[in-house]
Amino acid sequence: MRTRVIITVSGTLAIVLGATILSHAVSAQTSSPAQTSSPDGVAKPPVYDPYPPGILPSDLNSELARVVREVDFIEGRALAQWKALTPPVLTGQPPTLQGTGTAAIEALGELMNYDRNISPFRDIACASCHMPYVAFSGPIPSVNLTMVAYPGTVHFRAGKRTAQRYPYAPFFPVLQYNQVQGAFFGGNFWDSRATGYLLRNPDGEQAQHPPVDTQEMGNPDTACIAFKLQKASYRSLIEEIWGRGTLDIDFPAVTEKICALPGGAFGTNNTPVPLGPEERTRANQVYDHWAQALDAYEQSVQVSAFSSKFDAFLEGAYTLTAQEKAGYDLFRGKANCNSCHLDGRSTAPTPPPPEGTAPNSQDTGAAAATEPLFTCFGSANLGVPLNPRDAFYYQNKPDFFGFTANPYGFGYRDLGLGTFLRSGFGAAPSPNATWTQFAPVSDGQMQTSSARNVAMAPKQCPTTEAPGPYFQKEFFHNGYIKSLKQLVHFYNTRDVYKFNVTSGHCPPGKTEKVDCWPMPEVENNLDKTVGNLQLTDQEEDQIVVFLQTLTDGFTRPYSNSDTFTGACMQGGSAKTQGNEFLIPTPPLPPCTSAVCGVPPLPTMPIP
Amino acid sequence: MSALHTKPAIAAAVLASLLFSSSGAAQQVNAYAAKAKVEPPAEKAPRVQIARGPELESADENSATIRWTSNNPGGSDEHFGVVHYGTSPNELNQTAKSHIRLNQNHPDTTFRVSVERLAPRTTYYYTVDSMQASGASDKVKSAVGKFTTPGPGERVMNFPQPK
Ligand code: HEC
Ligand code: HEC
Repeated sequence: MRTRVIITVSGTLAIVLGATILSHAVSAQTSSPAQTSSPDGVAKPPVYDPYPPGILPSDLNSELARVVREVDFIEGRALAQWKALTPPVLTGQPPTLQGTGTAAIEALGELMNYDRNISPFRDIACASCHMPYVAFSGPIPSVNLTMVAYPGTVHFRAGKRTAQRYPYAPFFPVLQYNQVQGAFFGGNFWDSRATGYLLRNPDGEQAQHPPVDTQEMGNPDTACIAFKLQKASYRSLIEEIWGRGTLDIDFPAVTEKICALPGGAFGTNNTPVPLGPEERTRANQVYDHWAQALDAYEQSVQVSAFSSKFDAFLEGAYTLTAQEKAGYDLFRGKANCNSCHLDGRSTAPTPPPPEGTAPNSQDTGAAAATEPLFTCFGSANLGVPLNPRDAFYYQNKPDFFGFTANPYGFGYRDLGLGTFLRSGFGAAPSPNATWTQFAPVSDGQMQTSSARNVAMAPKQCPTTEAPGPYFQKEFFHNGYIKSLKQLVHFYNTRDVYKFNVTSGHCPPGKTEKVDCWPMPEVENNLDKTVGNLQLTDQEEDQIVVFLQTLTDGFTRPYSNSDTFTGACMQGGSAKTQGNEFLIPTPPLPPCTSAVCGVPPLPTMPIP
Repeated sequence: MSALHTKPAIAAAVLASLLFSSSGAAQQVNAYAAKAKVEPPAEKAPRVQIARGPELESADENSATIRWTSNNPGGSDEHFGVVHYGTSPNELNQTAKSHIRLNQNHPDTTFRVSVERLAPRTTYYYTVDSMQASGASDKVKSAVGKFTTPGPGERVMNFPQPK
């Protein structure tokens, strides 16, 4: 009883504080030029800009505005499609939404995905960082080239990793430690922290993170999502699927104000919305529905389409060109990519000596029974260098709300799965204490992405590769790699052109990413399947051509891939694409104890 | 009673299914029917033999990579190459190991192991083995090899990128 009262009081204090802050923000609005207002004229706090010049791209505001327009356009389309849908009929025992039930929940997920009203300043939808024309990865070329992470509802807080492509993410199993393999499989996110332990669905559980991620959509309380869904234009669809009373939650009047403020405005209080236990439980249920609907959309053919050239090839409806075939043979032969990016084939050609024992490479592989996902669901440390452009390193001062994303600055190291298993800084609490012991053998590991759709780009600039016209993407968890040519060259020559330097400090006469690879951010558990694959320049190109066959939209159009309204880039070479934006890594302070000092300690000290 | 109830439901369902099948791509279902599962490990090879190496791939003043190719040992896909090394051929009392993933589709496996924190211009002796995730050895036999680290700023590269 007593504790309860105390909590309520401190909650109220925070609200009052929050409300005061907001009115300050509003009244200050007119005087300072450094402020923005969101697309609907919602009052916004002063811009948070701890960044040295050049970290934020100069076109950031106009590009964010472009994406908002595109998001709204797709939301409009989705509303029209939903209106045209025949309502499902609830029937049977257990009751089932017969006929269009699947279509209804997928439509709901889509409506949620493009709904920016969910964020406190009504400017960030899920899709703001994941647009369909780039297979649901980051839609802003200049951000991909510079700050790596995408701004959230508070301009310009930003996360720390690249916005992951998510087609096929719904097929990842619940995170498990596999005794026989001695490794983790499944989960969502680069570090697998969306485990699926409760919903039994990692992709659904993933969708519960961004709405309350302080650097993303940034709601201060998960109950704010239920509150905002009460007012959504598609509220009736939610009620049609889960029943009339689903959204009947009695929110106190102050909820409006609280949910218009970002996370971080209430200190460490994660439930500032004052709800009784019953109302809280109902809000939680709505949040689970949010997860289910978004997962349904992501698993639908609109997102996970299986409509690539490669799928047509598997069905016998497309013949790979000589270059594509050569690339595929390398992918599962000499380059060994399919040891991690499983391609579902039974046997692949063995390389001839000196690499292997087969006298001649021949394809004895049977066609796959199911459509391969090009991942093993596991994780590895590829030894990607630290990317000093990552916006996360610079957010070491408090913002207007007193929130500091990364107090450790360049003392932060991204240990991926290892940090998550320790419930460490920048990850999420781990639900399984028996896993913690495996942290030291997981440090530096990131999840093996599906290779599918890595090459997807908008119609106007249908490639990721210079000279283009190309769409500038960013690759690997910290966006260090800027083209697929560089990605393959990295796998091929990481250990051939290894230098004991950080990015931006290659010796004179050497070109970074061409004949100089800076040292890995994390040396621990470095994977050595890759690093010196003995591929020629031409063979690298063939693998890139093969990766391009994995792009959905070949056998039928990819939904909403026609919505890009930005500019393409042109010129230069894929080998050095983006190199003009390299900056020297500052002298690095040692890894902060908040990351590297958490037991069980890393097997070898991380510098 | 129940018949009275179900009739309109059937009519509605028929109507719904008619509309359903006519609306095209949006109604397609993913053919990926199999539930996502983690591949089981391969059978263990009865005997693991080295076909090439072990040999020095590259070295600088304080690190080296040792490389060899054996038949595919099988067992857990998560595998480790192991190098036992020291400065005397009779005292290989240090161990380095590196992660690699077996390719169940390949009859051969190339292991590469990073050996770190070495002294410059020093000769090291070594043998190699490999092991499963559990630590169980593949029982590879290799003769004792040797390599010498170069001086500061120098680099040995026996496997450069082919042209
Ligand atoms: C501010 C940018 C941003 C917003 C908004 C955002 N995401 Fe993400 N998303 C990311 C980043 C960055 C990652 C990778 C984060 C990590 O691994 O730590 C990611 C990862 C994911 C993944 C994991 C994919 C995989 O293969 O594991 C999914 C799925 C996803 N996002 C869906 C969503 C959904 C659904 C929403 C809305 C509820 C959303 N995102 C909102 C940036 C964003
Ligand atoms: C040892 C396992 C392993 C092998 C072998 C491997 N990969 Fe990967 N791959 C990964 C992991 C882990 C990631 C994510 C790494 C990160 O972001 O730090 C990844 C990511 C990728 C991505 C997605 C990048 C992005 O940003 O979305 C592509 C494409 C890719 N790999 C292609 C390849 C190709 C081509 C090869 C062969 C030359 C290959 N991989 C070999 C483990 C592997």
